[in-house]
Amino acid sequence: MLSFIGRSVVQKIITLFFVSVVSFLIIHIAPGEPSQVDPMNPKFTPEVVERFREEFHLDKPLHVQYIYFYQNLFTGKTVSWKDNQSVLQKIWERFLNSLPLFIVGTVLTWTLSFPVGIRSAIYRGRLYDRSATFLSYLLISIPGFFFAYVLIIFVVTHFHVPVIGMETFGTGNTSTVFVVMDRTWHLLLPSVLGATGGIAVLSRYVRSQMLEVGGQDYIRTARAKGLPQEQVHYKHALRNALLPFITMFGLILPGLIGGSVIIESIFSWPGMGRMAYEAILARDYPVILTVNFVSAVLVLAGTFISDILYIIADPRIRL
Amino acid sequence: MKNSAQKEFKEDFQLEEPLAPKKTRFQEFWLIFRQNRLAIIGFFIFVLFFLSAIVGLVLTSGQDPLFDPARIRLQEKLLPPLAKPNLDSLAPEDVPAIGFYLMGTDDLGRDVFARMLQGAWVSLTVGFVAVGISVLIGIFLGGIAGYFGQHYMRINHIVLASLFIFGVGLIAVQSPHLGAACLVLGFLLICYQALTKRKPRKKSMPSWTRFLFKNAISVDTLIMRVVDIMLCFPSFFLILTVVALLPASIYNIMIVIGLTSWMGTTRFVRAEFLSLREQDFVAAVRALGVSNYRIIFRHMMPNAIAPVLVSATIGIATAILTEAGLSFLGFGVPPPHATWGNILSDGKRFIFDAPWLTFIPGIVILIVVLSFNLFGEGLRDVMNPKLRERH
Repeated sequence: MLSFIGRSVVQKIITLFFVSVVSFLIIHIAPGEPSQVDPMNPKFTPEVVERFREEFHLDKPLHVQYIYFYQNLFTGKTVSWKDNQSVLQKIWERFLNSLPLFIVGTVLTWTLSFPVGIRSAIYRGRLYDRSATFLSYLLISIPGFFFAYVLIIFVVTHFHVPVIGMETFGTGNTSTVFVVMDRTWHLLLPSVLGATGGIAVLSRYVRSQMLEVGGQDYIRTARAKGLPQEQVHYKHALRNALLPFITMFGLILPGLIGGSVIIESIFSWPGMGRMAYEAILARDYPVILTVNFVSAVLVLAGTFISDILYIIADPRIRL
Repeated sequence: MKNSAQKEFKEDFQLEEPLAPKKTRFQEFWLIFRQNRLAIIGFFIFVLFFLSAIVGLVLTSGQDPLFDPARIRLQEKLLPPLAKPNLDSLAPEDVPAIGFYLMGTDDLGRDVFARMLQGAWVSLTVGFVAVGISVLIGIFLGGIAGYFGQHYMRINHIVLASLFIFGVGLIAVQSPHLGAACLVLGFLLICYQALTKRKPRKKSMPSWTRFLFKNAISVDTLIMRVVDIMLCFPSFFLILTVVALLPASIYNIMIVIGLTSWMGTTRFVRAEFLSLREQDFVAAVRALGVSNYRIIFRHMMPNAIAPVLVSATIGIATAILTEAGLSFLGFGVPPPHATWGNILSDGKRFIFDAPWLTFIPGIVILIVVLSFNLFGEGLRDVMNPKLRERH
């Protein structure tokens, strides 16, 4: 166990190093420079551009820039080129905004997809199963931005509530109930949208897992013993079908920082995805690279956690 | 005497029933596929989309196209679907070819039907080219990892490869002299190795060179680590970054989507190859002295292609969605060219006055992507050997 942990930590650190190199190269070798992002601006005289380049080490060779950047990142001194604020500070603020979306979306995904998946496995081939299957393909295939507009129109015309942004502007001194309701309405649509794809995929996965377990001999034995159907489904089948989902707990970690770019820009939600999008537009390399680095760390940590969980949960795996 | 014995033998042989199954493989596929009604519908929509994209390309391109997606008629803007043009105020060459606006007009009075036809071709090519690139890379890397996986890279190989990579990289960045030096050095090393291999080796090399011939890392590990590295990038964000940094063009989008989505295929192909390599027919072919190249492409690949086809079909759907998302964010195909994503993103400003500008492209994207997904799932059922035995 310990040797496994040690080996995989070393491996992940090596992977992380290569990820940092590759992302750095992708951004810096691509044509165009951040100092030329606004060439028509009369304030951008050649002297200013020169000072800018010198200030952010852009005149140094690439490997020196690389060392400078990651040195700053690890000591927490990285600043955004756009507004000179600390990048980690910025990311943390935006992360706190994205967090409610992530939590509500994840809870919706995991609470809805299990009942749907289990039910369609039990009623395999019947109307319920077929309509659930079709619906989940529909949800996977629908373009998020289109679905967002359909939902916005529906909610705005039927419930007459505003949904864009994090809260309605100018509700400073209204009652707490009103503020809470307002925040809930604003939170609901983007998190539902973020969860749709997840619900569709996960419920399909639950279904196939249940069907696979349902074909095993011990399920037939349980049925033959005359156990009630409920007990067979929920005690014997479900428990064994749950195993792969333990690993998926680790894999939702990267979603923390992902934050959907498209949904956050439609709802003008000031979250991570939108910040990354704005950083790309402004060629704010430190922000882009830091977001990339943090998300790579989260992906690696997620796979690591899921490996460990799997070892703990499945007694058949011995190290 | 001999002749009659031969005849008898022949007759003997013909008495037996033919052993091969009566149904061809294709017929078998069709039998299973037919039962999945959704997959059939998906397949027909897929064919329809394919045809309309090709017809659309013919009708909307060229000097004087039948449907001109770029023709601006400011007096005819935001007309609903099936509206008749006002013939009094319109120049005769501006009247749409079919006499009315099948899908309405947008805020500049352009015919949405013509623009949708033009966009169909973009979606089709983006889907197919991007997936083609990713499948090619995936099959190549997965095949190498699965078939030659147990071979080890020696340190001298790694030194050579890094020399070449550094050389190209340095030329790409700033210093062509150093890069060229790296390339030349690498080339000399290859020549040197080729020469020394030809000659019988002299007594002993100096001791430090022996270090160069140590095994460092197996090919399989190397490729799988590269896959791990690629999987660390958040894919849509990576695509967005690269597309935003590169000059806007449809080819860049295809290439970038293709280059960031080959990891799944690599894993499939590798897993299939690992199991196929141990099977008897591969051992038999190898014993016959067939070349590696022929074993891989003639004997193993047809057996490994099924999951790749399925994931490619679904990959096309994903690529179309990604392109639409990029166009929606404004990073797609540059403006005069219509794509479904940018028709939608232009139309969203008029969502209450002209909802068809949002709903027509949205629903068309939905239907096409859905048909690809359903068709892919149907294919998966067909390819699944467990299901096939039942019939």
